[in-house]
Amino acid sequence: MILDIDTMHKSNNLEAASINSFQRQAWLIAEQELQTSFASKRGLFVSIVFIAIWTLLLFYPIQFSAEAMHSPDNASLMISLLSVVGLEPLKNWQLAEFAIYWVVALYLFPASSILMAADQMISERNRGGLRFLTLRCSRGQIFFGRFMGHLLIQSILLATTVLITYLLLLINNPETWLDGIKIMPLLLLNLVLVICPFIALMSLLSVLMTSVRMASLVAIIALSLGGFLVNYLASYLPVLSVFNYWIPGSQVAQMAQSTPSIALLSLWSPMMQTVGFLLLGYGLFKRQAI
Amino acid sequence: MSALIECLNLNKSFGMKKALENVSFEVQSGQPIALVGPNGAGKSTLFGILSGYLPATSGEAKILGHSVGSPELIGRIGALPQDALFDPNLTIMQQLSFLARLQGYRRNASLLEAARVLELMQLTDVANEKITALSHGMKKRVAIAQALMGEPELVLLDEPTAGLDPENARNIRQQVTALAGETTFLISSHNLAELERMCGQVLHLDQGELKAQKIIGQQAEQQSLAYITLRLKEADTGIKSKISRLKAVMQVDVKQQDELIIRYDSRQNAILDQELLKLLADQKLSYRQITHGQSLEDQLFQK
Repeated sequence: MILDIDTMHKSNNLEAASINSFQRQAWLIAEQELQTSFASKRGLFVSIVFIAIWTLLLFYPIQFSAEAMHSPDNASLMISLLSVVGLEPLKNWQLAEFAIYWVVALYLFPASSILMAADQMISERNRGGLRFLTLRCSRGQIFFGRFMGHLLIQSILLATTVLITYLLLLINNPETWLDGIKIMPLLLLNLVLVICPFIALMSLLSVLMTSVRMASLVAIIALSLGGFLVNYLASYLPVLSVFNYWIPGSQVAQMAQSTPSIALLSLWSPMMQTVGFLLLGYGLFKRQAI
Repeated sequence: MSALIECLNLNKSFGMKKALENVSFEVQSGQPIALVGPNGAGKSTLFGILSGYLPATSGEAKILGHSVGSPELIGRIGALPQDALFDPNLTIMQQLSFLARLQGYRRNASLLEAARVLELMQLTDVANEKITALSHGMKKRVAIAQALMGEPELVLLDEPTAGLDPENARNIRQQVTALAGETTFLISSHNLAELERMCGQVLHLDQGELKAQKIIGQQAEQQSLAYITLRLKEADTGIKSKISRLKAVMQVDVKQQDELIIRYDSRQNAILDQELLKLLADQKLSYRQITHGQSLEDQLFQK
């Protein structure tokens, strides 16, 4: 038996040399993140709580709003309300459930991404666990693998909430089932691209910060005060307004007023932010003592 | 053939404090290598640099001909990092098989490899436990098990037996000795007697500087200079002078009350050990141990 294992062991080492590619290792790191999030008791608990909160949101406030939009009696009131909050274009959506979901998700998912993706490496670095990985794969594979893993986790949670919204749509207006199916991929794509820079920002902060709480706090402060600060400084030196492009979520208000197909056009800035944050984070992580 | 480890003018500073200063040495594959020195000597810093955990401030460190941290070394080095802990949320088997997969094992083979190293460390029973359920010693053995996965060419063990009970410390020594043919171990420890038994050579660091690189057991400059270490059952005040009168004895030092280090010229008297036994018999003195050579501790620290 020992001989069999030994033989297998050596042949698999040979295999390792040929398939030890960047993608494979990074995918394994991402897969491990998924396992930690969905297969461990703690991760499963967090995911269930997350979905439960969204289900409550969808079946109460969102359903109430969608019903109000459907009802001819309340339609004018809803339109007035939407105008007040600058979301009047939502009245043009045929599927009210998805219209409300769209706005809520655009604002809530970035916030939950910050909290859920805050610990991409901090706890592991603090307990020395990264040292077990760096002898088996590159720092780039760890860094980008972790980002990929968290993006996948958030995408799975997003897809779940989109499906729950679709379920709500089927309950309220079963005749619109085909329209619902058609809009879902575009909606999902938009939302995944919106949360990308937030997760990338947390990848960067995971490298810079020594505690998860501090990383979340810095992200919240940077995102809430960043815009004010840039605008204030730009009032003295207008060229500084270019930094607005580096504040994740700066395009969300504009997206909320448009449909997913039009919103796609404004997604170049989150893409640019994602690439920027990831390159900066990787550059720092590559030289960091662990 | 390139050296297993090659360091050239390695420096590492933490702020104003120099942890390593111009450390240069070269070691070849083969018998385990001991890394010794007092606390704060720079042992863990050197381990950290060799494992790629810490960047050196200046200088160069190469393993198997490649700069540390280069992709060519991935999967070829194993390490027991000091105080590193596994994820408390996953089982030991889940984590070790994941590490094996990163080393290129297929899913099923990774489980077998994890089981193999756990068996080496006598931890098969706890494979499906979480790390939080284990004692300090068991956690350390799990960390050693991960270092042995995939039969790396070099394994760096930082204080492998610190905090372990004697039985498990012995098991680790046995595993190191058994694997020493395929893998070269670099072991740091404060237990010099343990290193002396396991290792073929020693690197002595002190205050960040490499003080000595020695082959264990090799005598000093003159080929003829030899040592015998004698440990008596009970201390005897008169024996030192009697031993001094034996032929070719140059010096007798009392290390502890019952332990004497005898320095002599082996070319003049090749059978001093026999004469010593005869002297002890004549004096009706019992002994615990007679050893040729000095202990590692004496080799390193005797002035």
